Amino acid sequence: MLLSLMIFVPLLGMVVVLLLPRESEELIKRVTLLFTFIPLILAVYLFITYDRSTAASQYIANITWIEKFNINYHVGIDGLSVTLMLLTALLGPICVIASWRNIEKGIKAYMALFLMLETGMLGFFAAMDLFLFYVFFELTLLPMYFLIGVWGGPRREYAAIKFFLYTLFGSVLMLVAMIAVYLASGDPGARTFDIPTLIALASTEGHALNSLNFQIWVFLGFFIGFAVKVPIFPFHTWLPDAHVEAPTAISVILAGVLLKMGTYGLVRINMAMFPLGLDRFTNGSDFWGYSLALLGFINIVYGSFCALAQTDFKKLVAYSSIGHMGFVILGLAARNDTGVSGAILQMFNHGVISAMLFLLVGVLYDRAHHREINRFGGIGSKMPIYTGITTLAFMASLGLPGLSGFVGEALSLLGAFAKYKTLTILSTIGIVVGAAYFLWTLQRVFLGKLNPDYEDIPEINKREILTLVPLGILTILLGVFPHIIIDMFSVSVTELTNSLTEAIGTFQANL
Amino acid sequence: MVVLISIILLAPLTAFAVYALLGLANKGNPRQDVLSTFAMLAAFICSILLFWQIDPKPVPLTIDWISLGSITFSMGFYLDSVTVIMLIVVTLVSSLVHIFSMGYMHGDPRYPRFFAFLSLFSFSMLFLVVSDNLLGIYIGWELVGLCSYLLIGFWFEKDSAANACKKAFLTTRVGDVGMFVGMMMLFTKFKTLSLYDGANAGIFTLVEGLSGTGDMLWLSVAGILIFCGAVGKSAQVPLHTWLPDAMEGPTPVSALIHAATMVAAGVYLTARMFPILTTSSSLVIAYVGGITAIVAATIAIVRFDIKRVLAYSTVSQLGFMMLAIGAGSYVAGLFHLTTHAFFKALLFLGSGSVIHAFHAMHTHHDEEHTDDANHEHDDHSLVHEHGSEIPPDQDMRNMGGLRRKMPFTFITMLIATLSISGVPFIFSGFWSKDKILGGVLERAMEWNSIHHYILFVIALIAAGITAFYMFRLIFMTFFGEPKNQEMHEMAHESPWVMTVPLLVLAFLSFPVVNHLWFNKDFVKPPMQHHIHAPEHAQVLPDSKTHNTEFSLAFLGVSEANAAEGEENGHDSAHGADGHHGHSPAHTIAMILSIIVAGFGILLSWLFYHKRRLSAEAVSTTFRPVYNLFWNKYYFDEFYDGVLVALTVWKSRLYAQFDGSVVDGIVNGVGTVTRDVFAAFTGFFDNSVVDGIVNRIAEVTWTIGGRIRRIQTGAIQTYLFVVIGGIVLIILIFRVL
Repeated sequence: MLLSLMIFVPLLGMVVVLLLPRESEELIKRVTLLFTFIPLILAVYLFITYDRSTAASQYIANITWIEKFNINYHVGIDGLSVTLMLLTALLGPICVIASWRNIEKGIKAYMALFLMLETGMLGFFAAMDLFLFYVFFELTLLPMYFLIGVWGGPRREYAAIKFFLYTLFGSVLMLVAMIAVYLASGDPGARTFDIPTLIALASTEGHALNSLNFQIWVFLGFFIGFAVKVPIFPFHTWLPDAHVEAPTAISVILAGVLLKMGTYGLVRINMAMFPLGLDRFTNGSDFWGYSLALLGFINIVYGSFCALAQTDFKKLVAYSSIGHMGFVILGLAARNDTGVSGAILQMFNHGVISAMLFLLVGVLYDRAHHREINRFGGIGSKMPIYTGITTLAFMASLGLPGLSGFVGEALSLLGAFAKYKTLTILSTIGIVVGAAYFLWTLQRVFLGKLNPDYEDIPEINKREILTLVPLGILTILLGVFPHIIIDMFSVSVTELTNSLTEAIGTFQANL
Repeated sequence: MVVLISIILLAPLTAFAVYALLGLANKGNPRQDVLSTFAMLAAFICSILLFWQIDPKPVPLTIDWISLGSITFSMGFYLDSVTVIMLIVVTLVSSLVHIFSMGYMHGDPRYPRFFAFLSLFSFSMLFLVVSDNLLGIYIGWELVGLCSYLLIGFWFEKDSAANACKKAFLTTRVGDVGMFVGMMMLFTKFKTLSLYDGANAGIFTLVEGLSGTGDMLWLSVAGILIFCGAVGKSAQVPLHTWLPDAMEGPTPVSALIHAATMVAAGVYLTARMFPILTTSSSLVIAYVGGITAIVAATIAIVRFDIKRVLAYSTVSQLGFMMLAIGAGSYVAGLFHLTTHAFFKALLFLGSGSVIHAFHAMHTHHDEEHTDDANHEHDDHSLVHEHGSEIPPDQDMRNMGGLRRKMPFTFITMLIATLSISGVPFIFSGFWSKDKILGGVLERAMEWNSIHHYILFVIALIAAGITAFYMFRLIFMTFFGEPKNQEMHEMAHESPWVMTVPLLVLAFLSFPVVNHLWFNKDFVKPPMQHHIHAPEHAQVLPDSKTHNTEFSLAFLGVSEANAAEGEENGHDSAHGADGHHGHSPAHTIAMILSIIVAGFGILLSWLFYHKRRLSAEAVSTTFRPVYNLFWNKYYFDEFYDGVLVALTVWKSRLYAQFDGSVVDGIVNGVGTVTRDVFAAFTGFFDNSVVDGIVNRIAEVTWTIGGRIRRIQTGAIQTYLFVVIGGIVLIILIFRVL
């Protein structure tokens, strides 16, 4: 019940917002803020009450939805879901505050769509039924499309449609795989979309789902769907375009939460449901056995080098996201406790840090009305607070120990190293290049002689600081006490890796 | 003990936090200097108290930091004699630098920020020192790097400073990545990053279980990779180029971070990792140290910027320390670390005092860089500018005859110079350097190892050069006639806040204090189980019992060494620090080191004081050698011209590939798909052809709020694709 409340409160908020008159903009903003605050409070409640000692799903609600196809409204959370729901709920109000002044036209539609988006994201992380999972996945697509396409920058239509079609392409493959799984799950009438049931069936010896060949194909179907979302090379080119055109708050959600939907899906479906398929791509015995780790490595190095070449501040941050998501992929490919925990932690921390980065880019853009890194210079002497916060965010993002970005990255690498020595060592190139592009940007924007054009650039204001401070505090707090988040999911991760090892072991023993 | 260590760590951290919080609220803290200085003094007092409390046995305090299934990363403190010595050195030098800065930085527009950064640095450094595990050390390690970055770039309006701080961070990060890979290797093998035994066995215990050649190779590689971190941080060749550029930071920073503490952290790390060093990794460390010692020393003799001379001198001295540890002289390396911390901090602060004297207006930045103003912004590149003009107030060619104007600065700097040059018996530097030279020679004789003979000769030459360039600095700065009358007129002795720290450090350059702790086996080397004498080595079991050294009982040195000798006598084959003044090696080394130091000073006197010899003539005669030294062996040219340029070129290539090929394919697929759909559904209007995916937008979607139409379009497409998908499934199932 609590979970459903949390998921649908934003949707209720959307209805309320739609009923409000178009002119009362302040009221609309406040109502939206309220309706994004409620999930945050509930998320904090979940964070406190969540039982960390078990991997079993909690706060379960399971209601029959479409009886004919055995589709249920089944929601519940484990350590991974609760972590990401917390992230989503946290970024909600921050994005609303960040949109307070920047959205000039159609605030009503904007806020309504934003609330719908939040429901989609929260529902996605809680869904325990494959069909429901898919519905929520698609539910995030439409609002995002309009938010970029209507309130975006000059090339918004191109970016929005590219985003939409690309994700659609991925989700169609996912749909195909999903239906295949459904059809294979049993005889007509006994078929199911229920994720826990499917996970159990997929590891049951002799079941149709427990076939290597079948698992490889459905694994690929889901994988491509999620890979577009992460995004994994070579499916990533929608991301820089979408980011550059999206308004600040939408970039924050995009980088902060939407990318995590991809990696969350990889863990929830690809890893948990298809251990044999996973094994094919992560067993480290031949080329295909290295492929997932290889993709992680490519993301890290390729993303970092591309970021180094960017001169648009926002595009640089977007490419840095590609690089950082590579660490998640690499950690998952390790499929051991350390690697998977590192990957999940990296998801959360990247959500926080990239949100900060996009907010910071927005602050500068609102003042200078451009994002060309080379046209700034010496801003540090005019905006000391802004410079301080940016330095914090950059340092967190480049993985400075003591800040949150380091822990996830380090654990992912440590985990991956146990399995893929060479690839992991090569991936550390990304750490150096990551430092290079952030420090170079820091120098070009903030250090050196003040560019006379920005003689009167105003310091960051209170509202902007308000959006950044909670994230900044989290970055430091989780850098010093990472177990606050790790404890949430460590039991779930151990359970996952154990059942993976078991399923793969059993299958191989029977060969 | 827990209370003391908490105060030591939290006092400077609190000082920084106060600044950060007030800064966020847009209120400055005008008295940050007092706050930071008191925090540091409190930490110093607590360190002294710890020194008296320290048990001979180490006291571990550990908590679980991260637990993942079966793996636990713990964080904890480890206190032994070495830790406490480091704590005292760091807090003492830091306190003195804080006090000095009150004078030196007075009037700077970002005066409070400077002290806040110093506090953050001190916290990070202390955290590094007391950590009992590699992860904790790594955290402190990177945080000191951050502070170094912030402080080198403190006057960030100067392009040279902005370049230097970036270079420092990136260069050290290259080393740090190596260190991280080394950590991953150790972790993969041992499932822990704790060094000492806690709830579970630590690395130093587990490593004893290793044997066999495969394990040894693996351990050697891990050791060398960890050492990479030290190469970066302690500015060893080939990652040394950032340290001279780091002199762009305010001089107190150079004294604290880039001479006494942070750069010594690499030596400290290497010493901490002593138990895992194998014969081959030790030899690599020794060679890197030896080469660094001589390369940096030769560069130092041709520099004119007073701070650069000192910077290269630091690099060279750090090389000595690394050489000592690599050669197995653990105690000698750490001993030199502490003596060097004091006299080098003194030399830097002294040079700061000189610069300050030449720079009475307190405008440390801006003015001399007006020619940079027309620097175009687009010109910022990853390629660093170097060989840039020396600021006039740091150019030794503008100095001379300052000894009468600045008596305190002169006397104290002279003491430090005598110490670093190795003038015998009454200066601390002599003892520590002699221990290093003796240790290397002893290892050479003990193992009959040609490598160590070579290293000994290198170190001896470097020691002679050290004496030469240090006296060159003294003669050029304080003796002779003033070269620049106008600047000389302006020069004045610095205020007491600056001279008092100089006097304290000068006092510490005498052996009194340093010998207190490197005495009576307060510091004992850990066992090195993996060091084996080379096969051909002839271990002389009686090499310990010679009794021919100088009797310097008044300094307590010989007793200490005697005790150590007996302790380690039975362990000599394992080579755990078998250095002591008794062996002939130490006697020979001592005599030779006195000779080379004397020779270096004599030459310097002939060149730069008496002017009997002409430096210009020599440099003309040996033009190619001079050019090599002057151009710093072309390291910067290689890095900027090749490595950085390649990286930037590669990044542009990747970005272009991304834009044209990867995205091109995406857009191409988009076009084809759209055309197929268009043919199929007839929904798309083919009349407008401009752009690729854009066209879909133009057709399906007009901005004027016609949302309904786009929805229809999208959903039709959507349905079409869904149906297509279902058809595909059926096909697949037929095939299966």
